[in-house]
Amino acid sequence: MVGYKSSSRKSKIDWLLLGAMLGLALLGALCIMSAVNALSLSNAVVRTHLIALPLAFMVFLAAWSFNYQIFDEQWKPLYGVIMALLIGVLIFGTYQRGSKSWFVLPFFSMQPAEICRVLTILVAAAFLDRQGRRIRDMRTLILLGVLVGPIFGLIMMQPDFSSIVITFPALIALLYCAGINVFYLALIAVFAAVAGFFTIAWTYLYLHPALLDYKILAIFYKLASSVWYMGGFCLLLSVGGYVFWWIFKQLRIFLPSFYFVLATLVVAAGFFAGVFVDHQMKPYQRKRVEAFLAPQSDPQGASYNVLQAQIAMGSGGVLGKGLFSGTQSRLGFVPEKHTDFILAVVGEELGLWGTLTVLGLYLLILWRISAVAYLASDRYGYLVCSGIFGMFLTYMVINFGMLIGLFPVAGIPLPFISYGGSNLVSSMLALGVVQSVYARRITSA
Amino acid sequence: MAATKICFNNRLKSLLIVAFLAGGIVALRLADIQLLRHTHYLQLAEQNRTQVLYQTAPRGRIFTADGKSVAANAPSFNLYYLSAGPKDKDYLDRLAQDFAPLLNIKENTLLEKLNKGLRSGKALALAENLSPKTAISLKELLLYYPGLYLIEENKRVYPYGAFASHLVGYLGSMEGKEWKNRDQSLDYRLNAKIGKNGLEKKFEKEMKGRDGGVYLEVDFRGRVKRVIEDRKWRAGHDVYLTLNYAVQQAAEKGLKNSKTGRGAAVAMDPKTGAVLALATAPAFDPSMFVAYSDEPEVKSKRISEYNLAVQGIYPPASTFKIITAIAAIEKGDFDPYKVIGCSGHYDAGSRLFRCWSKHGPVDFFGGMAGSCDVYFYTIAAQMGSAAIEKVQRMFQFGQPTGIDLPGEKAGNLYGPTKRARNRSYWFIGDTLNLSIGQGELLVTPIKMAQFASAVASKGKIWRPYYLDRLVHSQTGKVLQSGKSEQLGSVNIQKSTWDLVFKALKHTVDTGTAARVKLKGFDVYGKTGTAQNPHGPDHGWFMAFAAAEGKEPEIAVAVFVEYGEGGSSAAGPIAREMLKAYFDVQEGN
Repeated sequence: MVGYKSSSRKSKIDWLLLGAMLGLALLGALCIMSAVNALSLSNAVVRTHLIALPLAFMVFLAAWSFNYQIFDEQWKPLYGVIMALLIGVLIFGTYQRGSKSWFVLPFFSMQPAEICRVLTILVAAAFLDRQGRRIRDMRTLILLGVLVGPIFGLIMMQPDFSSIVITFPALIALLYCAGINVFYLALIAVFAAVAGFFTIAWTYLYLHPALLDYKILAIFYKLASSVWYMGGFCLLLSVGGYVFWWIFKQLRIFLPSFYFVLATLVVAAGFFAGVFVDHQMKPYQRKRVEAFLAPQSDPQGASYNVLQAQIAMGSGGVLGKGLFSGTQSRLGFVPEKHTDFILAVVGEELGLWGTLTVLGLYLLILWRISAVAYLASDRYGYLVCSGIFGMFLTYMVINFGMLIGLFPVAGIPLPFISYGGSNLVSSMLALGVVQSVYARRITSA
Repeated sequence: MAATKICFNNRLKSLLIVAFLAGGIVALRLADIQLLRHTHYLQLAEQNRTQVLYQTAPRGRIFTADGKSVAANAPSFNLYYLSAGPKDKDYLDRLAQDFAPLLNIKENTLLEKLNKGLRSGKALALAENLSPKTAISLKELLLYYPGLYLIEENKRVYPYGAFASHLVGYLGSMEGKEWKNRDQSLDYRLNAKIGKNGLEKKFEKEMKGRDGGVYLEVDFRGRVKRVIEDRKWRAGHDVYLTLNYAVQQAAEKGLKNSKTGRGAAVAMDPKTGAVLALATAPAFDPSMFVAYSDEPEVKSKRISEYNLAVQGIYPPASTFKIITAIAAIEKGDFDPYKVIGCSGHYDAGSRLFRCWSKHGPVDFFGGMAGSCDVYFYTIAAQMGSAAIEKVQRMFQFGQPTGIDLPGEKAGNLYGPTKRARNRSYWFIGDTLNLSIGQGELLVTPIKMAQFASAVASKGKIWRPYYLDRLVHSQTGKVLQSGKSEQLGSVNIQKSTWDLVFKALKHTVDTGTAARVKLKGFDVYGKTGTAQNPHGPDHGWFMAFAAAEGKEPEIAVAVFVEYGEGGSSAAGPIAREMLKAYFDVQEGN
């Protein structure tokens, strides 16, 4: 069998990982055909997908045969490639759905941000690999921020929130596995939580104007409206930080005052990020947050998508209605059925078995990636696998979570299953790199 | 190997555990959606993809005892446009031009509707509730116009118009609260018509039936893909009443043509308590609420829901003298042949009580026949008011009859005990007023019918009922049947009844009730003229009749509001009812 202990000597490829990937791709291809209601090649979506599939597989094979350590050595040119792609798309790209994130070429179009997700992980892993024992220092974190900041900035300029939603948690997972001080990680989490809290709280108040009768909430609602309010809030924060420091001192718990300053700064940064996001949010994005907060408020509106997806899944039952016979998806009730909501098609046509199979194959992929990480012959291999693990975990959690109502609709595809050539290529590239790590593992006992 | 592994920590393993935990939660939730709530979502999915062109089921019919259908159904038609046929402008223009006059709508409006249907791709109702006459002309045209769909459904008709309108009731659209509280087990639609009053309301659940429909599969924009199923309706259950068509018709005609056109007439079977006629005037025609859309509309739809027969309370006046007489006879020591002189008034000491006429010397039979107030003043003064109140209670005055109709009034019992309970005094004047059925005494027409039937049956007090049976529309099984129910009995001597019967027959043969005399039948009756301080007097007439030498078969009570004379206003109506019942043909 394929367990790494028995066959680690000979095998150049992790068959389980390959099998899971190909299984998902096959299932995906079938469901996409069913979703767009066409068995024939005349349909543009089916044609594109069937062309993208072998192309992506070729990329997979190339990445597998390549020694991944090249990425470690050549991380600076790689970084240059990322920047070139992202700047290029801002100049030569085309607008689609309000964001400038597509290169449209005569025969095909692509989303560079998709490839950049994987490349960013490769670059960040290389950077962290070089830090060695300094990994626990604050300096590493700041330097990494300086490194990936421009990437995020460029992606925000498109803007492509969903790329951030995937890349950010993947980087956090990478940092965590690289052995960063958990206190800093906690600060990052606090930063994200504060930013998210303000955004969601303001949206909630916006939805329930009656709550503004309470004076405190009314002031809270207006916090973002003027510089004075914001300044006052920051002043309040610093006073709070000082008070905590003083209390801890009185309690004879001695922590460096540096920690309190940092915590205050992070909360303030989170606040400003929240203000920024709140100002930047497009109406449709705000609608999604609204739909997530109050799904029943407007079943024909924003929460329509999730509801319809759940109806499709639920009506499939355990065994499903059979491939190519799902009424909800075929009659068009499920939105984005061949992309972000492809799982609804799987659920309707293949039932609970179908969705559990997809979930199971995903968990299998995650397990294999983590196993490969521990087999890696160097630290870079381990870090790359950790980052890719984080990326697929995020994909899985957000895409499934969105369908079952645990996450707001974020426009995240389900790799290997959803339609979308760029995503398919970048996902197969990622697993190709993992296979490359596996192939070059320590073979001697 | 061990040396290289040093820099690998266990953090990725903990992340793998997180991944499996997340996977577990997702799996549970998936099972929740796809396994536990499968039926719920399947239902929603079906609703999503089907559009139904509903066909209202035939409502349960209402029959009289002799098989006349008072409420029935007629076909009505809805014209749908399924954007499947040709779509060119020329075709639509021609279509609008041909159909607009038939549908009674403007050509432009129709064209607008067609274009809207074409844009949305949904099945669109061009016209609803069309008459069969229009439908026939449409059917010919439909051959030339594909894409149009004519669907037959049912609508209520009332073949006899206002017949028994207060009993039958009427239909109307659901209003906010009714829609909210509707019976979820029945397939009501927003534009469904439901019973608003009378039997239509009471048997709404049974008479509704189950709607049929053409089930279409539609996509998310509502565009029709195909016909899934053509589901047949199930008719509602039929209601059979105890009403006698001829008697009811006679009562209604009589009331309508009476002096004021306001009043009530009730006929009962004294052997069972079955209601043979229950008429209230003014009546209404429930047809106006269910007209075809291509018929000219009735302008004013105001109706009087006030059911005078069970909701109107008035003094029973001289008809009450029967009770005074029974009380006097039962008290004992009563000589029916003892003559009392009527000089047109009775001296009660402090006040003079007038009789309506100057009768001269009268005995019991003469007093009853002439409805002489002085005679009854005198016997009442002799026996005292308590005896009268006792008999009143035997006949259950002051209590509703218990007929299954909403809003029945109880009326008012009048007597010294009642007065004492109200902590007030009783005067001799009250006794005299009571003896001739005036004062605080109040009854409904249905109560008077119950009273007449109690006298006719020699003491059986029936709960009046009008439902004979409810019959399943398909199996013919009787689902519910009306029961004869005796509420009480008046236990007095047979000789008393004989005396009363003789006096009432005498009243018809020679006295004030002579108008109801029918050749070949034993008719008993009593008139009443209720004094009304606010306007003209009200006319009462109660009677019962039998084939010669037989037991009485019908008891009637007729009331004409502001009719002035009991004999002149109410008498002829009662006679027509008896005539109709016994099917007497008279040459004029």
